[in-house]
Amino acid sequence: MFKRLYTYKDLLLVFIWREFLIRYKQTAIGVLWAILQPVSLMLLFTFIFGVVLHTTQKNYPYTLFYFAGVLPWTFFSGSTNFAVTSLSGNFNLVTKIYFPREIIPLSGVAINFIDYLIGLSVYFMLLLFYGVPLTWNFLWLFPLLIMLVLYTTSVSLLLAALNVYYRDVKLATTFLIQFLFFATPVIYSIDAVDNKWKLLLFLNPLTFIVENMRRVTIEGRGIVVWQMVAESVGILLFYFIVYRIFIRIERAFADVI
Amino acid sequence: MSSEPVIAFNSVWKKYSRHQVLNNSLRDELVSVITGKKCRAELANGEFWALKDISLTVGNGECIGLYGPNGSGKSTILKLISNVTYPTKGDITVHGRVAPLIELGAGMHPDLTGIENIYMNGAILGLTIREINHKQQEIIEFSGLEEFINAPVKKYSSGMYLRLAFSIAVHSPADIFLFDEVLAVGDEEFQSKCINKIESLRALYKTIVVVSHDIDSLENIADKVFYITRST
Repeated sequence: MFKRLYTYKDLLLVFIWREFLIRYKQTAIGVLWAILQPVSLMLLFTFIFGVVLHTTQKNYPYTLFYFAGVLPWTFFSGSTNFAVTSLSGNFNLVTKIYFPREIIPLSGVAINFIDYLIGLSVYFMLLLFYGVPLTWNFLWLFPLLIMLVLYTTSVSLLLAALNVYYRDVKLATTFLIQFLFFATPVIYSIDAVDNKWKLLLFLNPLTFIVENMRRVTIEGRGIVVWQMVAESVGILLFYFIVYRIFIRIERAFADVI
Repeated sequence: MSSEPVIAFNSVWKKYSRHQVLNNSLRDELVSVITGKKCRAELANGEFWALKDISLTVGNGECIGLYGPNGSGKSTILKLISNVTYPTKGDITVHGRVAPLIELGAGMHPDLTGIENIYMNGAILGLTIREINHKQQEIIEFSGLEEFINAPVKKYSSGMYLRLAFSIAVHSPADIFLFDEVLAVGDEEFQSKCINKIESLRALYKTIVVVSHDIDSLENIADKVFYITRST
């Protein structure tokens, strides 16, 4: 994949740049949307669960707790949402000109990643603001980020490719994303879950990623290594299978789209 | 002019389906991922041959025309050359970079300005960012849109739109240019500009494939014209 992309790296860069431009064209506040979206979600959750329902989320500030969950979640849902219709929506390109098809869904992952990085910098400011002590364990955030990006990329490629064949995928994805939102510890912590459900939840790689992103930054705890290995192997395997399928059916996209 | 072939079709067959969704196609592809066997070459229900046993070679620096009724497979040939789709049977070899002018402005986005679209479309046609930086001025001059180049393309008239798309496309450093019905669009001035540009590309020994319904202008510009008949 990387070899293929390297030959077309300029096209990928131009696609990312195009999506970035289109996204903030004719908007009044432009890139501020990248911050406003996760921040407003975070405030909403803080208000509902903290102020209205009085649930306690361990003993750290609600804002930090929800923001840590909302950021990776927004990245995942934003990327996959973009990806589903990315190939079928650009059918005039797909049927007319050859280039590696994964460039289109990948450009969506990339712009969402830019937004995510902007959000992360706000998150670090919040950590400083609340005086949360950072430990070396926070370095685990980087492998977790790689896992998140790889998993998001795989899901995006799969959904984009399938939607070329069946538009049902687009409709199902709306539901799937909502479903995953509750299966991922964004608004709750996995520690509050019964052991018998925990194993089921960990089948969703996002559970491991989101939970540990919170843990290594706010709590300053390390990760459980065997869990990390198992989840990484699973994510890598998933990626290789999806990419293999993608390459195989890619050449037929122009005929069936 | 050398006669070394840059495009070679060796008894190429291509089938398409009349149905909107190819129910079997995804399953076929997935099965072949696992078993590694090729796609079925026989016709299933609702399928037809768009191309039947086509063999042709185009030498370096040659300009050939494709002429034939609608649905005879002219555009399919261009799509096969540009690797957008693949043959069901047979082999295709293409040497060199292809600039597919199959539809002008396929990569244009209405919200982006002229300059931004030059980068977008240029990259889609296979130019690198460096090449676009280099040729930007030339492209703008050829299009004659200096005053509007910083306006979003949605504010352009359709003629201006085509002029920009055409200038981007013909400034591609590709070796093989594919023109599909490009001669049929635009006003007379634009058409003569197109034909002049094709002549100057020929002077640079670029290989050109032109598809058109206008047999007179085809015979004017092309070395060889292939008549393609509808396969039944």
